[in-house]
Amino acid sequence: MNQVNPLHIGGLLLTISIYLCFQLGAVKEGLREAKQEYATSEALAVDLSALKNVYANKKKVQSSLEHILRQPSLREAHLSVNRGDKFIKITSKEMSTRTLNIFMNKILNTSYNITAMKIKKLSERKASLKMEIQW
Amino acid sequence: MFTRFKHTTNVLFVDTISSVIGEYKKGEKVDIVLSPKVYWVKKMSLPVKSVREVKKLLPSIFEDSLPDGNYSYTAYKDKDEYMLFAYEDKKILDLISQKGIAHADIASVHFAQSEFEAVENGLEINEEESIYLKDGLLLVVPTIWLENRYPLEINNIKLSKHTIRLQQFGHIVDKKSLYTVGAVFIALIVILIVEIFVASSKQDRVLESKDALFSKYDLQATMFQNRSTHQKYSTIHQRQTKLREMIALCLDLHLQSSQKIKLIEYKNKVLYVVIDGVTKQNHEKLLAQLDAKNIVYKSALKNSSLKIEVSL
Repeated sequence: MNQVNPLHIGGLLLTISIYLCFQLGAVKEGLREAKQEYATSEALAVDLSALKNVYANKKKVQSSLEHILRQPSLREAHLSVNRGDKFIKITSKEMSTRTLNIFMNKILNTSYNITAMKIKKLSERKASLKMEIQW
Repeated sequence: MFTRFKHTTNVLFVDTISSVIGEYKKGEKVDIVLSPKVYWVKKMSLPVKSVREVKKLLPSIFEDSLPDGNYSYTAYKDKDEYMLFAYEDKKILDLISQKGIAHADIASVHFAQSEFEAVENGLEINEEESIYLKDGLLLVVPTIWLENRYPLEINNIKLSKHTIRLQQFGHIVDKKSLYTVGAVFIALIVILIVEIFVASSKQDRVLESKDALFSKYDLQATMFQNRSTHQKYSTIHQRQTKLREMIALCLDLHLQSSQKIKLIEYKNKVLYVVIDGVTKQNHEKLLAQLDAKNIVYKSALKNSSLKIEVSL
């Protein structure tokens, strides 16, 4: 006939409630952190994807450069192109400053990773060019 | 193999004054019959159909006839009438303890009223007092009032089904409050568990979304690797932007007619610009244009050639 003291049951229920409150707090904190982490990851992923698309997309960079190099206005520059797996080197021993201007406008207005460049004035209207672009 | 033993318990009659009638050994279960001195009883005819309805009315029926105390109530139907009882759990339990009976040994508790309903003569409960049935109510009367009386032999009686369950802690908190508080706590616990479950599910969904994000953007396995790659391409982007800005700035320099840009070179993350036709007198004017744009640079003037170096 021994019975449990209701105060003990009350105490137990109170303890369980307090424990669950703490658990809920911890789970909600975890959820908040997970959401924050997701938002950070998403922002990073979008940014990284855009950057890689510009600087690491081999096909896109090659195709875009080939399009520039095929321009009729650059034909007289006699550009020499050395295509590697990770880079492309463009050189011209002598080209008109006008053609150089057209070429550089197209290169600089597009987001290429120019790793080396040398433009040397040969005379009033002539210049030489060396350029390396990587991806 | 599975022999079922008949379980018998001793019956004890417990009164406030007299010693316990019956045989009790500690550790053995006993049925207790309570003396009429420890409860209040009324026999009434009530216009209700069930005992359950009667029980609701009991506090108000006993309201004016009981001294102050913390009472429990019970009732059962006796032919066309109801037997109504009021009793104090704590007082009865204290009495049982005083008599040396362990609470753990109590199998059931009965009122003498329900167990001696058919008694015709007086039954002695001690030298001076007897129990006696009058008008259907069992009373404790002085033994000398009764002509026909016999000693009470408690083990010979067959117990009825009318038992009470003594509330050990009824004096601390009443049942209704206990159930209300218990219900509130249990509801709170259920709500908290549901909340935890919902929050956990949401967290799992966020983590799943994160996995989907990795697949969608073709990210590397760890965020550390991705941050490192992001840092690499961000640096490239910043450097390329700066390179274009610096070339534009150099081409925008206000040069004198004798001054010409001879070389623009970029290697090892450093931009070199060589300008011919610069004299000691006018080179500062030229560099002032870079200073005005807050450009950090190195410069050297040699044989009328000004070499400017800008680290990117």
